[in-house]
Amino acid sequence: MHAPRMKSIALNLLGNVADAEDAVQEAFLKIYRGAKTFRGDAAFSTWIYRVVVNTCYDALRRRKARPAGATLEANDGREIPPPSPVSDHPLRLALEKSVARLNPKHRAVFLLFEVEGFTHGEIARILGIPEGTSKTFLFVAKKKLQRWLAAPSPAAPRTAAP
Amino acid sequence: MTAECRRADAALASGEAAVLEATRRHAETCRRCAERLDAFDELSRAAASLRKGWDSPELWPKIRESLVRESFAPAAPGAQGERPPRTAPAWPAWIPIAAIATLFVVSFVGLQVFRPSLGDRQIFGVRSLPKDPLLTDVALQDVEKSEREYVRSIENLARVAQPRLAAAETPLLLSYRERLLLLDSAIAELNGQIEQNRYNTHLRRQLLGVYAEKQQTLREVMKGATS
Repeated sequence: MHAPRMKSIALNLLGNVADAEDAVQEAFLKIYRGAKTFRGDAAFSTWIYRVVVNTCYDALRRRKARPAGATLEANDGREIPPPSPVSDHPLRLALEKSVARLNPKHRAVFLLFEVEGFTHGEIARILGIPEGTSKTFLFVAKKKLQRWLAAPSPAAPRTAAP
Repeated sequence: MTAECRRADAALASGEAAVLEATRRHAETCRRCAERLDAFDELSRAAASLRKGWDSPELWPKIRESLVRESFAPAAPGAQGERPPRTAPAWPAWIPIAAIATLFVVSFVGLQVFRPSLGDRQIFGVRSLPKDPLLTDVALQDVEKSEREYVRSIENLARVAQPRLAAAETPLLLSYRERLLLLDSAIAELNGQIEQNRYNTHLRRQLLGVYAEKQQTLREVMKGATS
C-alpha cells in the first residue's frame, strides 16, 4: 500500500531509479528492524515515510562523496513510464529539473505536499519540523520554482543555422 | 500595488484556506495578483505529474533476501535513531555447531564404552592381533596340543569303560551311559563351533569343561566297577 508512494518519494528526492530502489530497500530493512520496537507515539505511516526521507538524505550525503560522473539520469538502464495522464504537461520536464535544484528540505516539503498529497501536519511529523516551517518551506520552494521556470534556460541548446 | 496585493504573499505562505479565499476574491479585480495565483496553481497542477511509479520486479526479492540474510546475521547498527539496536540472537547459527559438538562427544564416549567389548577388532579399519579372550596363533598351537593330549587321555579312559557301559543293566550305569551320550553330543557341537572360530577361548573353556565332566563321569563308572 505504501510502497508506490515510498518509491515515488525516493525517486523524486534522489533523481534516479537505481538509487531510489536502493533507498527503498534500505528503508524497508530499517522499518523491519524498528517495527518491533515502534512505540506508537506517531502514526505508523508517518513513521515509515520519515524513515524513507531520512534514508534518502543519507544517500544524498553519500552521493556527495561519489566521484564525478554519476548523473541524475543514471537509471540503471531502466525507463520510467509516464506517471499520469498529465505527464505531457509542458511544465513537467522543466519542473523536474528545477525541483532538483531546490534545497533538500524545501524539495522534500514541496514533493510531500504537492506531489504526494500529505498535509502540513503530516509533513511536520515526517520531517521533524514545525508545521509553520513546513508551510514556509513550501511557499519558498514555489516562489523559487516560479522564478526559475519563468527565467530563460541558461543551458538552452542553440541549433546552428543551415 | 495595494495593501491587499502586499498581503498576497503572506496569504500564499500561510496556506490558510480562509486567507487564500480572501486573496482569490482580491485577484478577481487585480490582474497582477491573479497572475501570481494562477502561476502557483499551475505549479501545483504540474507537480502532480511528478508522482512516478515503475515496475521493480527485483526490488521485493532483494528485500526478502536481505531480510532472510539479516535474520541469520548479528544485529546491525541502529536506523538513524528510529529504533533501538536489534538484540534478537541469531539462534539458528549455533545449532550446527552444537550438533557437531554433541556428535563428537557422543562418538567419543561411545567409543570408550564399547571398546572393551569389541576387543581389538577392526575399530578403525586396522586389524590388530587378537588378545584375550581370543588367542594368538602361537598360543593356539600350544592350547590345541594340550587339548589333544587331554582328549586322548579321556578317550583312552572311555575305551576302558566302554565294555562296562555296553553291558549296563543297573539304573545307575544306564544313567551314566545316557549322561556320557549327552556329553559327547555337547562335545561334538562345541567342536563344530570352534572350527568356525579357532581363536575363541571361551568355547575352548566350555569344551574343556565338558571333557572334564566326561572324565569325571568315566571315573565314577570305573569306580563303580571296582567297588
